[in-house]
Amino acid sequence: MNRAWRLIPLYIGVVIILLYTLFPLYILFLLAFTPAAYTTIAIHSGNYPTLYPAGFTLYNLQAAFGIPEIMTALIKSLETAFLVGGLALLIGIPAAYGLSRLKPKIASIISTTLFFANMLPSVTIAIPISATFLRLGLNETFLGLALAQELIVLPLTVFMLLGAFQSLPREIVSQARVDGAGLMTTIYTVIVPLAKAGVAAAFLLSWMMSWDEFTFAVFLSPAQPTLPILIYEYVTRGYILEAAAFSMIVTIPVVVLVIFMAKFLKGEILAGGLNG
Amino acid sequence: MFRWKEDYTAYLLILPAIVYVAFFSFVPSIQAVYESFQTPSKQFVLSNYQLLFQGTDLRNSIYNTVVVTLLALAIQFLVAMVIATILMKEFRGKNFFQVGFMIPFGVATIVASYVFGNDNIFAISGGYANTILHYIGLPQPQWINPNNYIFNVLGLVIADSWKNTPIVAIVLLAGMTTIPPDIYAAATVDGAGAISRFLRITLPNLSNYIAIALIIRGVSEFNIFAMAQFLFPHKILTTLVFSYYGISGTTYLSYAVATILLAFIVLFSTLVLLYRSWSQKS
Repeated sequence: MNRAWRLIPLYIGVVIILLYTLFPLYILFLLAFTPAAYTTIAIHSGNYPTLYPAGFTLYNLQAAFGIPEIMTALIKSLETAFLVGGLALLIGIPAAYGLSRLKPKIASIISTTLFFANMLPSVTIAIPISATFLRLGLNETFLGLALAQELIVLPLTVFMLLGAFQSLPREIVSQARVDGAGLMTTIYTVIVPLAKAGVAAAFLLSWMMSWDEFTFAVFLSPAQPTLPILIYEYVTRGYILEAAAFSMIVTIPVVVLVIFMAKFLKGEILAGGLNG
Repeated sequence: MFRWKEDYTAYLLILPAIVYVAFFSFVPSIQAVYESFQTPSKQFVLSNYQLLFQGTDLRNSIYNTVVVTLLALAIQFLVAMVIATILMKEFRGKNFFQVGFMIPFGVATIVASYVFGNDNIFAISGGYANTILHYIGLPQPQWINPNNYIFNVLGLVIADSWKNTPIVAIVLLAGMTTIPPDIYAAATVDGAGAISRFLRITLPNLSNYIAIALIIRGVSEFNIFAMAQFLFPHKILTTLVFSYYGISGTTYLSYAVATILLAFIVLFSTLVLLYRSWSQKS
């Protein structure tokens, strides 16, 4: 009994925090699936919107999918995100393996450099990159956008993969080398399969960060937008309800991903570049 | 000799990542700094900076950036500390909480900005925030009215903290799990209360992780862009860069503001790194 009473403050904290985290998502749900009369129209005419689903409609979603731009934006977002995820593994796996083999002191200097690159403001970097891409014909392409977004994603991917590789038993790794497997063969046939959960998580994290990315997208691909930019444009043009439907489309996959990946998203990884 | 060869291959494997980062972040950064001293006729000048320092836009946006950053960090660390403390305990429903508090991390910044924005939660009158305040019986501020500076800042900072507190929480949690539980047990036996245990054991042992979270978040706060574009009627450094960038005559001014932003971030990271090495020594 005594123990149960002592948990009350804990549960109050839990409830308050969950209300704060879930309320905005609930609002998004209301906006997307309730008739406008109870949401935006109420707000814009100075009334209070209802806090419960006062009605149900698929009209907003249908209206949003009736806009031809959405398919182009969806395809562009998907192409970019998969390319970013793929590149992250292509460059990240060898780099993380290399880092795991170096002396901790040197590895830490290299990690800090990667981390520092991650800190540089996207806004500052985007303007010169945009000028360069203009010359190379890469502006507005998903390739150019993916190359720029890779920058934000790569350091985190490397730290995540490094964490996954370091948790493998060292004997297996050296065993494979003694057996005479070449280095690249060792990495791809022994280490990657053993660390597959971590590798998958690294891919999904980079995929997700690209899917959400705004700054590079608005500087490098304003005319052929990705989904986030499309939402921005629709809101600024006053199409509030379509934006709600777009937002649902952007949000559902990432929420599923976060639920799936929650146990991989560890503080040690985000801190990776500066730890030790 | 063998060791050297091992290292050599390791460097070779890391090289693409380093080249990538150098090419896409260090080179453009240097370019931005260089361009900030240029004019359309390609002369080296200080006039871009002179022009900026004469006006009030730059001063205001520096001030706003600092205010937003400090307030956002305060909220995020406070809430994250509560979340991490909760996650150190065992209780029924912990699995649900562990996933629930993380969800905003995945929600796109633009979606968060939209939901909190002018049309929805923080609408000038009668948004969802005010609806709740209305039912509780509290006064309802006009959140995004430009004349209402304090509430403008609050709106931006609350929305930003909503999305980013999970990252701070998991970094702090990682730090808390490194503190051996025996220390707490011993302190409790010695009669230390919860608050004194927090101040004398948790905080000092966390300093390294606090520094890490401070760098990650502090720098990102300086870089808030989409949210400020949506929610904040005043300019911060990033939105000032964007507003100059959009207009053809002021491209070089946008480079200059971008350089100032860069300088702030380098300064901030250096300060936190210094604090970290100092706290590790003592």
